Amino acid sequence: MNTPSLFTFPRLGLALGALATVTMVTSIIANPKAPTPAVPLNGGATYIGEAVCIACHQTQNNHFAHTVHANAFRLNPKNEKEKVSCESCHGPGSNHIKDPISPGNRVSLVGFTKEWGTPVPLQTQMCMQCHDGGQRMFWEGSSHATQNLSCSDCHNPMAKVSAAGLLKKASINETCYTCHQQQRAEFAKRSHMPVSDGKMSCVDCHNPHGSTSRNLLKGDTVNETCYSCHAEKRGPFLWEHAPVRDNCLSCHNAHGSNHDKLLNVARPFLCQQCHGNAGGHQANLFNSSGILGGGGAANIRIMSHSCQNCHSQIHGSNHPAGARFQR
Amino acid sequence: MNTRTLPFAAAAVAALFSFSRATAAPLADSAVGTGTVLGNAMTQSTRAAEPRDPEWQKAKHTPTGQMFELPPAIPKPEAVKKFANGWEYSGSLEFGYIGGDADERSAQFRTYSDPGNEAHVNTFNFTMRQPKTGHFVELTGGGAARDDQYYGVEFGRVNDWKVKLYYSEIPHVFTDRYGRLWNGVGTGNLTLLPGLTPGGTASTAADNAAVQAAALANQNTTLALKRERMGARLDVNLWTNWKGYLSYALEKRQGSRPLGSVWGLGGGTAPIEVPEPVDYDTEDILAGLMFADGLTALNLRFSASLFKNNIDTLTFQEPYRIAPPAGVTTNPAVGAYTQGRIDLTPSNTAYNLRAEFTRKLPDFHRGFLSLALSAGEWRQDDSLIPYTHIPGVALPNVTLLPGGGWDSAGSLSRRSTNAKIETRLADLTLSLNPTAALNVKLKGRFHETKNATDPYLAVNPNAVYLDADAATAGNQSRGLTFDGVTGVWGRLPNDASGNSVLLGNNANPNGNTPIKAPTFDSKQHRFGPTADYRINKTSTLNGSLEREVIERTQRERARTWEDRAKLGYVNRGLGASTVRLSYEYAQRRGTEYRASTYDGLFSSAIFPMPTAAGANVTSWAVRTNTGMRAFDLSDRNQHKGNLRVDTMLRPGLDAGVSFQAVQARHPDAAYGRSRNDLRSANLDLSWQPSPKQSAHLFYSWQWGRITQSTIANANANLTIGLVTPLGTVTPANAIAIGAAPGGPFFPLINAWTGRNEERSQVFGGGFRQDFKAASFHADFSRSIGRSRIAYDYTIGGAINAANAPLAGSRMPDLATDVDLADLSLRVPLSTGWAVRFVYRYQREVIRDWHYYNLAATPVVSANVANLPTGALLDAGPTNFRVDWYGAMLQLKF
Repeated sequence: MNTPSLFTFPRLGLALGALATVTMVTSIIANPKAPTPAVPLNGGATYIGEAVCIACHQTQNNHFAHTVHANAFRLNPKNEKEKVSCESCHGPGSNHIKDPISPGNRVSLVGFTKEWGTPVPLQTQMCMQCHDGGQRMFWEGSSHATQNLSCSDCHNPMAKVSAAGLLKKASINETCYTCHQQQRAEFAKRSHMPVSDGKMSCVDCHNPHGSTSRNLLKGDTVNETCYSCHAEKRGPFLWEHAPVRDNCLSCHNAHGSNHDKLLNVARPFLCQQCHGNAGGHQANLFNSSGILGGGGAANIRIMSHSCQNCHSQIHGSNHPAGARFQR
Repeated sequence: MNTRTLPFAAAAVAALFSFSRATAAPLADSAVGTGTVLGNAMTQSTRAAEPRDPEWQKAKHTPTGQMFELPPAIPKPEAVKKFANGWEYSGSLEFGYIGGDADERSAQFRTYSDPGNEAHVNTFNFTMRQPKTGHFVELTGGGAARDDQYYGVEFGRVNDWKVKLYYSEIPHVFTDRYGRLWNGVGTGNLTLLPGLTPGGTASTAADNAAVQAAALANQNTTLALKRERMGARLDVNLWTNWKGYLSYALEKRQGSRPLGSVWGLGGGTAPIEVPEPVDYDTEDILAGLMFADGLTALNLRFSASLFKNNIDTLTFQEPYRIAPPAGVTTNPAVGAYTQGRIDLTPSNTAYNLRAEFTRKLPDFHRGFLSLALSAGEWRQDDSLIPYTHIPGVALPNVTLLPGGGWDSAGSLSRRSTNAKIETRLADLTLSLNPTAALNVKLKGRFHETKNATDPYLAVNPNAVYLDADAATAGNQSRGLTFDGVTGVWGRLPNDASGNSVLLGNNANPNGNTPIKAPTFDSKQHRFGPTADYRINKTSTLNGSLEREVIERTQRERARTWEDRAKLGYVNRGLGASTVRLSYEYAQRRGTEYRASTYDGLFSSAIFPMPTAAGANVTSWAVRTNTGMRAFDLSDRNQHKGNLRVDTMLRPGLDAGVSFQAVQARHPDAAYGRSRNDLRSANLDLSWQPSPKQSAHLFYSWQWGRITQSTIANANANLTIGLVTPLGTVTPANAIAIGAAPGGPFFPLINAWTGRNEERSQVFGGGFRQDFKAASFHADFSRSIGRSRIAYDYTIGGAINAANAPLAGSRMPDLATDVDLADLSLRVPLSTGWAVRFVYRYQREVIRDWHYYNLAATPVVSANVANLPTGALLDAGPTNFRVDWYGAMLQLKF
């Protein structure tokens, strides 16, 4: 008999509650301050107010006014940082207006384009002033951060190009495709997730801002991620299939495939990569003579769902007789 | 919301609202959970046709060097409409008519979308905001009254609180060419159509003919399901630096899909594809608290997923005369198998608690510490159904005690599944900056999937053997004891049309009857350092070393470990280019590979292998080729390389190029997957000479190959004293010889190798031109997928001489071509009105040998007088070509 874990839900609940309490008390009593930058921002410039910015950047302001940032800064700012609007992201602008044209003076303002040339760590730091924690908790050390990506490699806070998220493209998926072309190609294959059909986004499975899992998955494992939509596959079942419990990707490509059901390889060859039993049929060489019209005896183990014509409950069976996943 | 979750959700909502709302942090954490987008296949086309703002600045690039998309034209601030009470509002509506081939039925065309030749309310949006207070309302929707419709509304106060309500439907069409044999599709009770006889008739030829006729007559049946997801989410800024969220979602899935069923012991007796009913409800609850003050950040999250299958079992009448299994003495009689029963996927629940914590350490090498803890529990406790619904089934040498009939729950070792899996995660990272240019991280991760289920025992505890043993004179009535349970061991598969019961000494015991279910646990440990070195202002070098150890129970390898070394380089300053380059080498090894790991789950755990000369020990000694390696456990050497270059060729013209290569080898896998290779190359071009014009082109090429080999088993018996090429069989070496490559069961001449080669290409692009008033947009793509399975074998081995000319050297290619073009011309009619003329072309060609000729011959049978090789009622995917066009009126205000 398996022994229950020491980490029961009541104990974990108590531990998490204690952690939250300690964090809250610390934050209120100790009132810690975030570290101040070693180098004064924008050369020690001072704030000039958004009216001065808008005087030159009217078109940008027209678009910015439709963004959630503008709404927050202008309609319901919660602190001094937000009240300075443009300068909450770009930093104080007094040095910028002294010479707004010269490329040599670009250090006087934080910019978020390649043309402007602000170092990526500084760009990220500006965003994290407000967006620290939450779903960006694990940004540092994430594969995107290691690739030296800036927030504005995906986001454009200056205009409402996307329905949500202030993305640089019209949708989450199009934004991701700008670097992940291989996945774009996979979503165009015969079987695929409903991503290009507008029903799903990359962010349903991945957290591009970092996670504790490989490939920036939102779940702790591949399977936990898949179960968030395929809860019926979660089980646990009376009779379990080892690779299914271990990793859905043993058999499936999560993005798309040239085969049915996003499978990695056509059945029965997929199953035969592991099943070489002596039981009669697992290790046979099923070949083109066995397809209907192939010239030989038609073989049920090749056609239609192949192995799953019989072993149809391959994700697990709850039938007492389901050791072979048939009922 | 059902009664289980209503009190919880209500209490949680009340608790959240009871908090103060003085606040600071932004509400930008909607990425928790799934369902992150609302839209359908026509949404993108509508958006893409919108004209861009001609006054927008010249093309700007992301820090990587990719062009920002031009924003759509918007009204000037002075043109924003207002109600008398100061609320500003704007909105849009697109509706019209689509004609042409949009009614096409092909499952491939309609897999996840639902177009049609009729009037459409395609999209609508309405937004209001109150500038004085920051309150807002946003309404969106589209695809009204269609199976891919969606609606959402958000309201709240910016930077304070927000409520989101949504509803979305996703169709999923599996086939439109299913040959239906039953009434009741979509329910748990299928009754055969008139003309088909439950349990078959005395003439199998007549049954075959009747099934074929019925399948062909009803071959236009569509099997599909629809997901309806609806939910609500509340985001609230609580105290300073604290915020919280709570969400509830209900997803209903209803419909049906093809599912295989079989008879006998599993030897392929009359498999028939039945329509599996789908009637699922899944409730998802999320609640979280988040804190961040610039130094410390904390996330707490509780999630629950409650899955319910409203149809527990599928009972289906079957149209063939299934023979009783050998050894069944009294029932079922010939013709008794009138119906079968499948236990459908069981209801289950999952709960998870998660805490994430980070703390900056500004005074300690500018470091930070992060910790994530997560604990989950998945439960499933469905009532178990008996082995068969047929009463009176009896076996030789077995006496059923009162209540122990195989058609009763008394024949089971327990009445419900009572299964539980626990998951645990601990993830720790310490990051330090020893110098201004160097960052070092130490990472460690532990994850456990612990199956806390008592393994199911396939035993009838209310039955005894009536047999003899060596020590007792005469027959005895007794059960065999294993794992503390006494009874008759084994199971009756497939509604008792098969017999896999250990029948005791009088009926030649065997060693390969499954008597116990496996439970799989795993523990993963991953740890190692990473380093990032900033070479100069624009370039960085990064590297990591990592060891991953996975311990598994019940698998062929108790422990595997994989070492990874990775090196990466990023340079943003190579002129107008950004270069990203990485290489990773990984090597996996493990403890001894034990093909016999499942021995304790078979009757060999009860009856030891016979040792007498001449004894047949096949069922004890021969299970699987001992040279076979499961590819997720076998040794592996893997190289992985990535190169990506983004460059601004000239103002307004960008290019992005990427390459990837993966090479994996499994050096210990003489049989099984031995090689896995992947190559890909991608090219993107973006051109934006002015705000009025833009174009992009892309091309992706992928190639992959998986090599596998195995040995087709020979028909043989392994007996003690048998002389084989590997030696004379003894009790001590029976397993080593019997299951070894080159032994009597796996002669090397039967070895064969397969190579699955995938080739894919996707070419596509888009073009947009804004004229003085009108705007035009086009998108197109062409996807070509080919999959070729080739094989090498010895004639007379895996394939005999007669079949070799038919088998050749490969299967026919699996091929898929997918073409898509979407064109829109938008012409303004007045200040607020416009018309969008839309044309879409879609074409898909599929060649899949799995379905060759099944449309004409759903009943596959070598001889019409025999039970069918299979009644394969899904005729498979069809090619289609669709042109549809529409005129959509657009209103903007």
